[in-house]
Amino acid sequence: MDERLKVLEIRNIKKKYVIKHIGKSENQTSVFEKVKAKLKSPEKEDFWALSGIDFDVYQGEKVGIIGKNGAGKSTLLKVISRITEPTDGRIEMLGTISSMLEVGTGFNGELTGRENIYLNGAILGMTKAEVDRKFDEIVEFSEVGKFIDTPVKRYSSGMFVRLAFAVASTLESDILLVDEVLAVGDSRFQKKCIDKMKDIASSGRTILFVSHQMNTIRQLCDRVIVLNEGKVIYNGDVEGGIRVYNSEAYTQKSNYVEFADLPRPVGYNLDKAEILSLQILENEPCIFEADESIKFRLHIKTKVENIGDLSFRILIWQADETPVEIAFTKTFANINDVREFDVDVSINDHNLAPGLYKATIILSGGKSTANSENLDYVYPAFIFEVLHSDGTSRSWPRQWGRSHFDDVDVQLVEDGNAQ
Amino acid sequence: MRKTVIEPNGKNFQYWKDIWNYRELALNLAKRDIVVRYKQTRIGLGWALIAPIISTIVSTFIFGTLANLSTDGSAPYFIMVFAGNTAWTMFSRSLTTSSSTFIMNANIMKKVYYPRILSPIGAELAYLVDALISMAMLIIMMLVVGYYPTVRMLLFPVFLFLNLVLGMAFGLFLSAFNIKFRDLAQIIPFAVSIWQYITPVVYSVDSIPEKYRLLYSLNPAAGFVNAFKWCIIGDMKFDWFTFLVAIGWTVVFVPCGIAAFRKSERTFVDLV
Repeated sequence: MDERLKVLEIRNIKKKYVIKHIGKSENQTSVFEKVKAKLKSPEKEDFWALSGIDFDVYQGEKVGIIGKNGAGKSTLLKVISRITEPTDGRIEMLGTISSMLEVGTGFNGELTGRENIYLNGAILGMTKAEVDRKFDEIVEFSEVGKFIDTPVKRYSSGMFVRLAFAVASTLESDILLVDEVLAVGDSRFQKKCIDKMKDIASSGRTILFVSHQMNTIRQLCDRVIVLNEGKVIYNGDVEGGIRVYNSEAYTQKSNYVEFADLPRPVGYNLDKAEILSLQILENEPCIFEADESIKFRLHIKTKVENIGDLSFRILIWQADETPVEIAFTKTFANINDVREFDVDVSINDHNLAPGLYKATIILSGGKSTANSENLDYVYPAFIFEVLHSDGTSRSWPRQWGRSHFDDVDVQLVEDGNAQ
Repeated sequence: MRKTVIEPNGKNFQYWKDIWNYRELALNLAKRDIVVRYKQTRIGLGWALIAPIISTIVSTFIFGTLANLSTDGSAPYFIMVFAGNTAWTMFSRSLTTSSSTFIMNANIMKKVYYPRILSPIGAELAYLVDALISMAMLIIMMLVVGYYPTVRMLLFPVFLFLNLVLGMAFGLFLSAFNIKFRDLAQIIPFAVSIWQYITPVVYSVDSIPEKYRLLYSLNPAAGFVNAFKWCIIGDMKFDWFTFLVAIGWTVVFVPCGIAAFRKSERTFVDLV
């Protein structure tokens, strides 16, 4: 059994929101119909932001909570910090608890820095004696110096967040809940904030930390919980959690993508040709084994005549946006009229290491290779995962790089003479 | 170590203990309200004096001189109006600020936990300071015109407080509805301004015809406003009937108000 003191026990926590849809019909033309639609009680739909969360936290642990937007991270922090009530379940906590869900909560522009320190301290649950004791430390950390008796509405936004962070970071509660607040100020102050958080972390207090910054998670946490759609999908060491998070954040659910709403880079006004959609062939979802070809079909539309020779460039990126590979295709068609057509592409021998990737597809066209121009640029065209050739996704050490040679001849040479 | 349990449906066994732990916050919020209200103004807290004086002058002219409404006992009309206004203002401000507390403080309440009831309590404490300044002004005026306070005056804090409590009880009760029906935010100030006319603020209860007196006395606000005036006006008689009616309303609405408030504070964050 675990000898450490359990300070937080979360059991089957659920949180339901009721979403109301106002009935909207297409033919609400008359005033009468509009009024009728308004009076009709809206359709209600239950949305489970948290659907059964279970985990324990022991004294002194620094637990990172990560997940996509909408995974339930903020709702969970709100429930633990008692801002809103769970729909079901039970939480038991030992010791004082305080939350930093936002810095500067309750700051009032008319009040001076000094007055705001006391007010904000009280809102966060500090007594006057505690604030008195911490006052000099707060002022020094915030670097507002002589402006401490100036109304904070005259502060620069940097001064404001520095002061706000300084107050919040002096909280002496046993359990601290932190939501992304480290992203304040300029990069120098951000570093100072992270150092401060590390200090807090090493003082033996328990921290629950929500962030999208994996580097910060790596620096601060010794355990990670990954949430997805209101459930805990991972609870364990940091690197494993980040891998799960990356695959969750990037896994493409569907093998058909339309690009009509995808923003293109500046300069692409799509007046000559456009890639309309992409269909991954054979594999669903986008997971390929190491030696498998990546096959997809593009639906393309030309909008002017005499475009000429069309070709692609296909770029492969890592999930963190590091470029990995590029392919230049041959001219695949010569199109001189306005029409829509399909093109099948197969990337063979990609040699990609197991991992997550994103692809960019650039369509170019022109009368000759020399005056070819870029017509459309879709990124990300699709997101895919490459597995080991045995179908597993076990880790691939960083120092091995992102691609591998698949055809290397090795021959034993006898007596120094080649056969 | 302190143990905290979170469960649905407001099974919070340490509600009152929490309020006690956070008691300093109420004072801080009150201080913020006072500082922010008067800081930018030239005469600062002087406004706490000027506002009741001007409304007393206007009421005295319109109701006392033009309409010739009656005063209580032998008090000069403007003393009676000033006293009535002080009590009524305490009651009505308590009611309106408490009723809108979730909406006014949503930004803070969405981001940090503290016992929510401290927000209206803090706001009421700030208004209490205004009322005390008015009282100081009233005593000075009484000394100036030679209408001396009696020993009853010592009871004014009790009646002022009762006005605060009753107003807050109604306000807390309404706050629950204010989240879902925002129209209430428009209706309440309007209703309160009408309510003032059926409350003995600028006239004496004695001027109400006998046959309507019973109906009139059911007005929850009448009792404590009257009682407040009684402790200032030396020869006014204590109206036990309206007072007991008001006590009745208080006994019913303080628990109702707190219960309604506690019910909505649990999840109002999801609605605003």
